[in-house]
Amino acid sequence: MKVLTFGWDFPPSRNGGLGVACYGLTRELCTEGIEVLFVLPKKQETIGAPKFIFAGQEHKTTVIEVNSALAPYHSGDSKVMSVISYNTDGTPKYAIRSMMDEVHLFAKQAEQIALLHQFDLIHAHDWSSYLAGVAAKKVSGKPLILHVHATSFDQAASNNVDPSIFRIEQDAFNEADAVVTVSEYTRRIIIEKHRIAPEKVLVVHNGCDTFIPPVYEPSLRELKAQGKKIVLYHGRITIQKGVDYFVRAARRVIDVDPNIIFVISGWGDMQNQIIRMVGELGLSGHVIFAGALWEEERDRMYQTADLVVMPSVSEPFGLVPLEAMQHGTPSLISKQSGVAEVLTHVLKVDFWDVDAMANQILATMRYDVLRNQLTTAGRQEINRLSWHEAAKKVVSLYKNLVNYISA
Amino acid sequence: MLSVCPYFHVHQPYRVKQYRVFDIGNDTEYFNDASETDLNNRRIIEKVANKSYRPTNKILKELLDTHPEFRFALSFSGTALDQFEEYAPDVLASFKELVATGRVEILADTYHHSLAFFYSVPEFERQVKKHKERIEDLFGVSPKVFRNTELSYRNDLAKWCEDNGYLGIMAEGWDKYLGWRSPNYVYSPKGCSSIKVLLKNYKLSDDVAFRFGNQAWESFPLRAETFADWVHAHHGDGQTVNLFMDYETFGEHQWEDTGIFNFLRALPEQLLKHPDTSFKTPTETIESYESTGEYDVPDVLTWADTDRDLTAWTGNDIQRDALSKIYALESDVMEIADPELTEIWRKLQTSDHFYYMCTKWSDDGDVHAYFSPYQSPYDAYIAFMNAVSDLQLRVGDRVSKVRLKKKIAEEAKKKRAEVSAKRALDKEVVILKITWSMKAEAWLRQTQVGRFLEKIFLKAKK
Repeated sequence: MKVLTFGWDFPPSRNGGLGVACYGLTRELCTEGIEVLFVLPKKQETIGAPKFIFAGQEHKTTVIEVNSALAPYHSGDSKVMSVISYNTDGTPKYAIRSMMDEVHLFAKQAEQIALLHQFDLIHAHDWSSYLAGVAAKKVSGKPLILHVHATSFDQAASNNVDPSIFRIEQDAFNEADAVVTVSEYTRRIIIEKHRIAPEKVLVVHNGCDTFIPPVYEPSLRELKAQGKKIVLYHGRITIQKGVDYFVRAARRVIDVDPNIIFVISGWGDMQNQIIRMVGELGLSGHVIFAGALWEEERDRMYQTADLVVMPSVSEPFGLVPLEAMQHGTPSLISKQSGVAEVLTHVLKVDFWDVDAMANQILATMRYDVLRNQLTTAGRQEINRLSWHEAAKKVVSLYKNLVNYISA
Repeated sequence: MLSVCPYFHVHQPYRVKQYRVFDIGNDTEYFNDASETDLNNRRIIEKVANKSYRPTNKILKELLDTHPEFRFALSFSGTALDQFEEYAPDVLASFKELVATGRVEILADTYHHSLAFFYSVPEFERQVKKHKERIEDLFGVSPKVFRNTELSYRNDLAKWCEDNGYLGIMAEGWDKYLGWRSPNYVYSPKGCSSIKVLLKNYKLSDDVAFRFGNQAWESFPLRAETFADWVHAHHGDGQTVNLFMDYETFGEHQWEDTGIFNFLRALPEQLLKHPDTSFKTPTETIESYESTGEYDVPDVLTWADTDRDLTAWTGNDIQRDALSKIYALESDVMEIADPELTEIWRKLQTSDHFYYMCTKWSDDGDVHAYFSPYQSPYDAYIAFMNAVSDLQLRVGDRVSKVRLKKKIAEEAKKKRAEVSAKRALDKEVVILKITWSMKAEAWLRQTQVGRFLEKIFLKAKK
């Protein structure tokens, strides 16, 4: 079986969860014997078995050479710098385009690609590829699966939903033969907000690659030596991520136990607001802004922390607790996250319940046995969250759709 | 002859509210949740009373009235009785009515539905004694047959029962210890000479308790007639069929819409249709039959899940930690000897608290296999440990006061003793002085030498 897959991001580029998920799933689909033709909007480095097509590269005849400056996690009206053509001396010409233009462009390219290749199914990941998937379906007549990694409701934390993205989502879901969500949490949004028939929406929880990471020298050694406990937030600083609730919980915690340090690692449009909030709450001595940490620095921080908090207001899945578990650090996550559906050995709290969050942070610091059990049982638990299981579900969906069409 | 011995266990714990770290040192009420959740003890009692206790007791009373042969046993945790008394006194009254027929036996138990036998035998004995007094006081009867929390059982517990005058004890009839033998006979616990053990027929008991409402079960829907046939099939191959289950099976675990009440209503008649079938209470069963062999259980056996051991309560680190913390308070609590504080400490020993912390099924990915009023095992642990932390503070505070008081009292006593000893000594000296002076006088007067000396003295005076 051959599947034409559209995505927006793929490792080793470092953009967050979407690429990681596409990679994990695609890798296991390949081992299940599925032939994956993976289409990305721009030329980039890639890893793994699937065959890649870079839309901008292969179709310069039909479209103006596009090396887009896109990254996921932009809103539809955000402006991005794109290369639109080259000067005679070979230097690129830039233009400011909107994310929406890029998405439509990708769809046009998809049409061309779909005409040129043979395949049985179309599988499109994330909203930025939905139109590409729909376009490919229109020219090929092949069944279309849309894979929802996030919705406009997550990005906006439920208010101020970008109407243009919402429309793309809703139109595309209606066109699709099946919609796959990464959690029941997201499935409910698709059913309730986008009004998609429940029987068309299927949950395939993300997996998790298990590996034993190298052990690093801890960060913040001086603070640790003073006996301070470290509570870490790692992620983008945006309204969707609930960092403001984390800071308010910190205030409650510090009132009881001033021996705790809160580390905020990440960047985002809410950063200044959060910095102000920390000052206003008199927490400057207890909160450290570590900036965006990646790779070894990030892993070192995961290992240093005594607890990692993911206070998301709306999180379709959420990789952070899984990464923390890999590094042997327990997590406290919001119930408004998809990953909460598959994890037992984490603490869970409603993102808005600042008191409960503070209580659980304090309890984790007080009761060593609790921390130890969350760590050891958590490590075992992530072994069950394999991409292989996710791929098996996707394969059976592929088969059902293909059989249905041919019958 | 085949007799049927039904026994229903009535229990409600005092669930710990969402007691937070901030509450430690500020709030001494651990069990007074007033929310709309299942942590609200009053709400639970009212709910279960309506769904289970009230309708079931009504049916049981009708059955006792219509069938003079019908009899069964009940066991109550003290924590259930206390909550009935407070929140649903009519339920308690209806239980009293059942017992007043003389055909409902009450079993001995720990007051607080605890695992104390495995952690502290002296504390276990105190709880059994308290339970006995409560049962005698409420129902006017003395339990003769013992059952332990979650039907937990071990050879040494049976021996304890024998040493303490019970006629018998209840246990799970588990294949691992029965081997090829049937649970439908009366056995002797290993190491005991006089008492007997009654074994739960888990197949037939669980058909009612667990499988009754399961639509995927091949025997669904189970009719009383069919079930009676299954029981009757043991004629000639057994003495007693022991149907042991939670009382709350009726209406709470199996809801009314499964037909459980109609089943219960019809069952005695269906069982009695076979002329050689009778009902017996546990005591009657023990007295009617000779033991057919030995039941040897060296490790803890319970009636819980497929493992039939204590792992649902003690299987993980947080459970063991919570248990060890609560039992570590024993000597201090005993030293303080404040009935109110002791009661709070005991309420925290109820096994349910540790059950809510169980994670063993989640290891197989089956997160929802365990019923719990908490959102997660970790929430249960945190609420419990926060409450225990507060209790530790109170106990620590009280015990140091008690010790200080004792020390002051001891010192005062010592001082008093010293004073009185000194007084006694002084008195003795005085007595001695008087005695000696009298003796001297007598000697002077009575002896020749004395009289001679006296004369010399008198002359010298002149």
